[in-house]
Amino acid sequence: MEKQVIQSVGFRNIYEDGKAVGFQVKIRLPYYRGVFLSQIKPGSLKVDGEVFTKDQILWRINGEDYTAEEMHEDWKTHWHPMEPATLIVKKEGGLSQGYHDLEYGYCVTHSYMPPDLEALADPDKPEIVYFPEFGRNLNQRRLLIV
Amino acid sequence: MYRNPQTGPKRGVSLYSYSAEFGFEKSLEDCFEDVHDMGAHGIEILANTHIENYPYPSQAWVDHWFALLDKYELEPVEYGHWVDSHVLQDRDLTTEESVEFLKRDLRLAHRLGFRILRTKMPVINGSLEPVENWRDIIRGALPLAEELGLTMCPEIHIPTSLKSKMIQDYVAFIQETGTKSFALNIDFSVFRTHFLDGEFVSPGYEPSAPEDLIPLLPYVACCHAKFFQITEDFQETVVPYPEILGILKEHNWNGYLLSEYENPDKYEPGYEVGQMLRKQHIMMKRILGD
Repeated sequence: MEKQVIQSVGFRNIYEDGKAVGFQVKIRLPYYRGVFLSQIKPGSLKVDGEVFTKDQILWRINGEDYTAEEMHEDWKTHWHPMEPATLIVKKEGGLSQGYHDLEYGYCVTHSYMPPDLEALADPDKPEIVYFPEFGRNLNQRRLLIV
Repeated sequence: MYRNPQTGPKRGVSLYSYSAEFGFEKSLEDCFEDVHDMGAHGIEILANTHIENYPYPSQAWVDHWFALLDKYELEPVEYGHWVDSHVLQDRDLTTEESVEFLKRDLRLAHRLGFRILRTKMPVINGSLEPVENWRDIIRGALPLAEELGLTMCPEIHIPTSLKSKMIQDYVAFIQETGTKSFALNIDFSVFRTHFLDGEFVSPGYEPSAPEDLIPLLPYVACCHAKFFQITEDFQETVVPYPEILGILKEHNWNGYLLSEYENPDKYEPGYEVGQMLRKQHIMMKRILGD
């Protein structure tokens, strides 16, 4: 696992019957402890400026796929900080060969922070107060598709 | 299982200190060996961080856990966990749901050999007051905690004062219930006397005096030996360690001082938290004479 939130390993197109139908990229949790899925506030993924909203992205955690809506209700499944999650996005033809500029926004809730402050957190905007142990909401990386 | 024969204030480390390095530069075993290097014999873990497949670790992992404790002569002292009643974004968990959440951690802590838990309840404001139903949540879990020989502790942390109503409420609860399964973890940040220029200090914060500990000692199950700035000649400049440890020794308090390094500089590239911990342990070793 790399320290960056967006991981270089795991970034590739997804093929069905020999055709690219989408792509995937892995992200890690930049928080010192794991969270239950309902604590995750997923935002948008931008690829070279093209926006995929949270409802177009599946999260794969421990081999299971979750929609944003499913995660919102699931307070029993735990996401461990040492296990990157895979984001799965449908896109006919996949991503083209070469460099892609990725930006993903998400954040998580922290039960020991004042709830008023927590409610203001927007995964698609920079955090209001930056704590190194919570990481940043918005993370970028430039990676190659082969 | 290894048991430390020492009595009195004993040295240990909270693995939270390694939060910037865990999973990257340091494995669980590296953290254990680092603590062993310091001649310390107790550890605190964070359940959601250090337990593989939390909250349902495999038996193979649990066997590995006990093998590592034996290999490095460490006692599992404190199980750090959270009662995440704010886990859903649209509503708080009910008291019953929170109790079930808490019981799952009690069972796991017991399975891993712990006897003390740092039980963090969700806060409702900037003064870190716990949720209003905290008494009902703890009461609901007390029978299981008593059966398993476990003690749940809220952590008393800056900006809370040892003379605050929050502490009085916790002590009153212990006295009313007569339980041995609820106690306090005192984080030494409450004694902090100085801050850096421009550093955030909660409005109204007053450092607690080391003597404020004395009436609370019967209710203190363990301490977070929080530290901030240790000089090259092994003195902490903003927390009065000689006075605090002196009181603990003098009153024959028996328990662990779990080092906790929380300064955000540990996330800077190249920072070596193990060396900071060693400096603090040289200081504590000299004061304790162990």
